Amino acid sequence: MAIVESGAGGGRAGWVQGFRDLDQILRGDRTRTDSLRAGAVEIAPGRLSRVIIALCMIHGLCMGTFAMFSRNGPALGQVLATMVKVPLLFYLTLLVTLPSLYVLNAIVGSRLTLGSVVRLLVATLGVNVAVLCSMGPIVAFFSVSTTSYPFMVLLNVVVFATAGFLAQMFLLQTLQRLNIAQTLADALIPEPDPDAPSPLRPLSDEFLGRRVKTIFRVWLVVFGLVGAQMGWVLRPFIGNPNIPFTWFRGRQSNFFEAVLQTIGNLFS
Amino acid sequence: MAASLALLRQADAALRVGSARPGGLGPPVELSLRSRLGLILIFGLFYGAVMGAYGARPLQMLYSGLKVPLLLAVASLLSLPTFFVLNTLFGLRKDFPRVVGALFSAQAGLTVILASLAPITAFVYVSGVSYQPAILFNALTFGAASVGAQAILRREYRDLIAGNPAHRLMLRAWLVTYVFVGIQMGWVLRPFIGDPIQPVQFFREDSWTNAYVAVAEIILGALSGAR
Repeated sequence: MAIVESGAGGGRAGWVQGFRDLDQILRGDRTRTDSLRAGAVEIAPGRLSRVIIALCMIHGLCMGTFAMFSRNGPALGQVLATMVKVPLLFYLTLLVTLPSLYVLNAIVGSRLTLGSVVRLLVATLGVNVAVLCSMGPIVAFFSVSTTSYPFMVLLNVVVFATAGFLAQMFLLQTLQRLNIAQTLADALIPEPDPDAPSPLRPLSDEFLGRRVKTIFRVWLVVFGLVGAQMGWVLRPFIGNPNIPFTWFRGRQSNFFEAVLQTIGNLFS
Repeated sequence: MAASLALLRQADAALRVGSARPGGLGPPVELSLRSRLGLILIFGLFYGAVMGAYGARPLQMLYSGLKVPLLLAVASLLSLPTFFVLNTLFGLRKDFPRVVGALFSAQAGLTVILASLAPITAFVYVSGVSYQPAILFNALTFGAASVGAQAILRREYRDLIAGNPAHRLMLRAWLVTYVFVGIQMGWVLRPFIGDPIQPVQFFREDSWTNAYVAVAEIILGALSGAR
C-alpha cells in the first residue's frame, strides 16, 4: 500500500479535492463499514495534509491575533511564529509517536498495515484540525477583546482539548469500525442510519473489542502526552505581552505544571 | 400603515413558529429566513433605542439601537463555524439548514419579546429609577427574553431531536458556545444604557477587557473584603 499517492494532483483541483476529502471524513462517508472493507480509510494523506496545514495556519493566525493587539504594540514575529508552529506541533507529534504507535498496534495483533495507520492518523488529525479551526473566530474575538494573558492561555487549552477530544472519539470509532469491517468482512453490518452517517456514532451497542480498546488507550496516552509536551516545547504560541518576542522559550518545567500555575495566575 | 401591520403579523408568526395556528386550523406557522432577519434588525433596534433612552440622549439611543442587532449577529456569526463542524461530525449535516432556521427563529423571537417589554422599560425609566437599578432591570428583561427564546428554540428542536437524538447534545453545545461568546460580546459593546454622568460614547475606553476576568475579580474582591 503506497503511502505517497501517485500524481499528487497539483494546483487548485488538488486543493478542492483535499477539502472534499476532509468534508467526507467529517460527514462519515469515508468511515462507512463498506468503504473500510479494504482495511484502511481511503484518503490520500499527502493531499489531505496540505489542507490540514492550511487550516492549522489559519488557526495559528487566530491565536496570534492576541500578539497583534498586545498593549506593547503588535508583535508580527509572534503571529508568524504561531502560524508556523501550529502545523509543526501536530506533524512533529505524529512523527515522534508513529513508530511506537505502529509497533504497539502490531504487537496487539491488529491487521492494520503501516499505510493504514498513517491514513487513520492523518484522518484523525483532519477531524482535530477542522474542529480547531472552526473555533478560530471565537479565539480571535477573545484575543482582540481581552488583555488577560492567563485567560487566553486557558481558553486556548480548552479549545485544543475540545478538538482533541472529538478527534479521539473519531479515532476510537474508526478503529472499532476497521476491526469490525475486517474481522467480519463477509457479514453485512448496515449503518444504523444510512441517510445520515456519523463518524462518531457507534455501529452497534455491543462493547468495543478488547483489542481496539487496548490500542486506543495506549495511543491516547502516548499521543496525548507527547502532544501536550510538544506544545510546551514549541511555546510561545500566544505571546506573553510582558516578555519580548522570542521564537522559543527556555526548556524548563512541563505542560501540566504550567496549566496548574496559569489557573492560579488568573486570579492573582 | 399596511407595512407596519405586516411587520406585526410577522412578529406574531415569529412567536408561534413551529406550533399550530391559533384555533388549530391550517398548517403550522412558517416564516421566511429574510423576514426573520428583518425582525431581528427592526425589533432589536427598537428595544435598543428604548434601552438607551435612560438619559434622554438621542445619540445614545441610536448607538444602543445599533448595538442590540450587532450583538446578536456577531455572536451568532462567531459561533456558527464551530456549530457547523460539530453538526457534521455528529451526522446532522442534512438538517443544518433547518437548524440555522431554528436559531434565527429563536433570535427573532428574542427581539420581539424584548420589544414587548420596551413599554415597561420606558415606564421604569420615566418613574425615575437611578442608573444601577436601570441596569439591573435591563438584565432582567434580557433574562426573560432569553427564557422565551429558549422555549421557541426547544419547540423548533423538538422535531429535530425526534429525528435524531444527537440534536439534543448539539442544542446544548450551541447554548454553551453562544452564551460564552455572547457574554463577552455584550461586555465589549458596553454601554447599552449609558451613564448620564458620562458623555455619550459608542465604546467605553476600558471596554476591551474580559468579562469573565472582570467577574472573577469582583467575586474575589467581595470574598477578600468579607474576610
